[in-house]
Amino acid sequence: MTAGNDQLISHQWQPVFGAAESVIFPFIRKIDTISSNSYVIQTPDVILLIDPGGLTEQAENLLDVVGECRSERDRPLFVFLTHAHIDHFIGAQHLPAVASSVSAVFSVQESGADALERGDGMLTQADLLGITQLPMKTGFRLLTRQRADVSGAPVSLAFSNGAEVTVVQDRVGAEPGTELVRERITFGAGPGLEVYHTPGHSPDSICIRFGELLFIGDILFAANPGIAGLRGWSQEDLIRSLAGIHEILMGGGIRFVCPGHGRVIPAQDADRMLSAVRNDALALSNIAELNRERAEDAAAFAEDCMDQVNELFTIMAGRLYYVSYVMDELGEPEIAERMSAQFNGDAIDELLEAFKDFADEHHRHDNVSIHLALKAGQVIARLDRAFRRDELARLIDPSFVQRASRLLSDYTTMLRGFCPPSDLAVCELTPLVKALVTGLSVSMSSDEEMFASADDDAAFLDMLLARVGTRPLLEEIDLILDAGDEPVSALVDRELFSDLLTYILEELVGTGSHRITMTVERSGNEASVMISADTDSPDEPGARKTWRFLERLCERAGGRLAITDADNLRKFVVTTSYA
Amino acid sequence: MEITSATQERGTILSVSGRVDTATAPTLEQAINKDIDLGHRRILLNFSGVSYISSGGLRVLLATAKKLKNPDDRFGLSSLSPEVHKILKLAGFTSIFSIYSSEGEALDGW
Repeated sequence: MTAGNDQLISHQWQPVFGAAESVIFPFIRKIDTISSNSYVIQTPDVILLIDPGGLTEQAENLLDVVGECRSERDRPLFVFLTHAHIDHFIGAQHLPAVASSVSAVFSVQESGADALERGDGMLTQADLLGITQLPMKTGFRLLTRQRADVSGAPVSLAFSNGAEVTVVQDRVGAEPGTELVRERITFGAGPGLEVYHTPGHSPDSICIRFGELLFIGDILFAANPGIAGLRGWSQEDLIRSLAGIHEILMGGGIRFVCPGHGRVIPAQDADRMLSAVRNDALALSNIAELNRERAEDAAAFAEDCMDQVNELFTIMAGRLYYVSYVMDELGEPEIAERMSAQFNGDAIDELLEAFKDFADEHHRHDNVSIHLALKAGQVIARLDRAFRRDELARLIDPSFVQRASRLLSDYTTMLRGFCPPSDLAVCELTPLVKALVTGLSVSMSSDEEMFASADDDAAFLDMLLARVGTRPLLEEIDLILDAGDEPVSALVDRELFSDLLTYILEELVGTGSHRITMTVERSGNEASVMISADTDSPDEPGARKTWRFLERLCERAGGRLAITDADNLRKFVVTTSYA
Repeated sequence: MEITSATQERGTILSVSGRVDTATAPTLEQAINKDIDLGHRRILLNFSGVSYISSGGLRVLLATAKKLKNPDDRFGLSSLSPEVHKILKLAGFTSIFSIYSSEGEALDGW
């Protein structure tokens, strides 16, 4: 069965346009970090396997496909890696028929070949993913510096699988900054292929052009959070390679772009996607390397963050349902229905539950942190898209919306390799605390404003909805604020500090405290805010994660947090440097 | 999630344990509706074993509150974990239905 003109079909043989007597068998997988797509190509001279993938089962299936080709007519097998990350090849590690250089010749860009031969788990990402990678021999080193010395001249190579290959290395690229090193490889009289050195995602990344197909490896994902910053990643190289690939696509003759993960893409769409990658990449100057330590930090932050995100989203949904309930009670069923529809509750619940299931499974199997960190990144990106901030901020307490937004953005920032923002400045703590308490004690709209809107139906409805949706946190709380008369200035991030105090007050009110005491004071070189309340729920499950989240937040806000539970009194003390 | 139902003179108690999430909320709703269909209009949900409630679970609570609005009807929750209490409190639900510290406290008042 052949493919249509506008697609390549997975798991089926189909002709390769622009390459005579050649057919391709794409093995397309759903996107994950475990294994890449694979592609088997038959030409009259040779069988090519591009990226055998990260799963042994996948590599075995591909071997069956290759075996069928060989049973029809035996030809040499070449295994090309778009780059030597383990999700692209480790599945073949234990399969002698592929891994042995006698039966199949591994073909890898020179720096990737070096990494494979010395078993460099940092460059192949085996260390990050907790996988043992044995040193592997690569028979065909691509885009070598040695052949650069004879640029333009054909070089003949003979391989252990009996193949004789001609390679010509040159440089392509009309514009400055778009030049790529290229090798044209022919295996006989049939069609050959071209490989381009396109580093950035990794030092050994290549693109392979065969007929009207361009295999691009993982460059489409190279600027993604949790991918950018991997060992060997380079912003400068990536931007240059993207420019070079754009030029190849603009040169015409490419019908489909075959990525390392996910569906095959028409060339025009791919060019637009690559342009978006370039824009993302431009913003990634000086990101931290994504190593095992950072993956562990990100995973821990992800879990704390997702717990808070889950709580905030559930509260926001509840608030909207509450508004909807009240409107229904007031005989406004249409408005009630509209309110319920403002929150994409089921979709958001499913995303949050998917993460929880993933995290539970992750801990059960003691998996490596990067998977959890990446999963959180994926879920947070989807939550971000489903989150109708502006509408929600008009209907419910904007503090929930702002804090949820900040959490999503902070996690993405961290996963990208940056520190989440923290803007420390000298701040008077007493007015800050007083303003916060006032904001949490009174309704956002006054009675006068309600009365004033009574003559305008639409304005009154907006006012009513906002009033129902924004119930002051401290309205039924007996709060004693002891701030003294002395100014207490401290070096803090004002927004984060306010967020921290809000989270603490919510924790106390939400768990049933009715009387809260807040004290702002200076002691020597330190300034502190103490919040205490009676509680009958010491050491509840889940509290430790919340405490860990609050402690991290406090650090970013410029302080340190001590939490104590004694004699049914819970005390939070935020200590900062006196400024 | 597990639910057991016990009807007493003063009301029906549904004891719920586990997570009330998107997957399990419909089961809770069915269990409540079954009791309402049997004419039990004083319903107390004992949530002592519930560690988590999602927005889907909150919807079920509101739907039940809407159904039990007659003067003699009663609907309440008891024995909430701090996590669930926090969600209900901050979402504003504590002003829609009553929250009791124990089954006994609820039934004494009914």
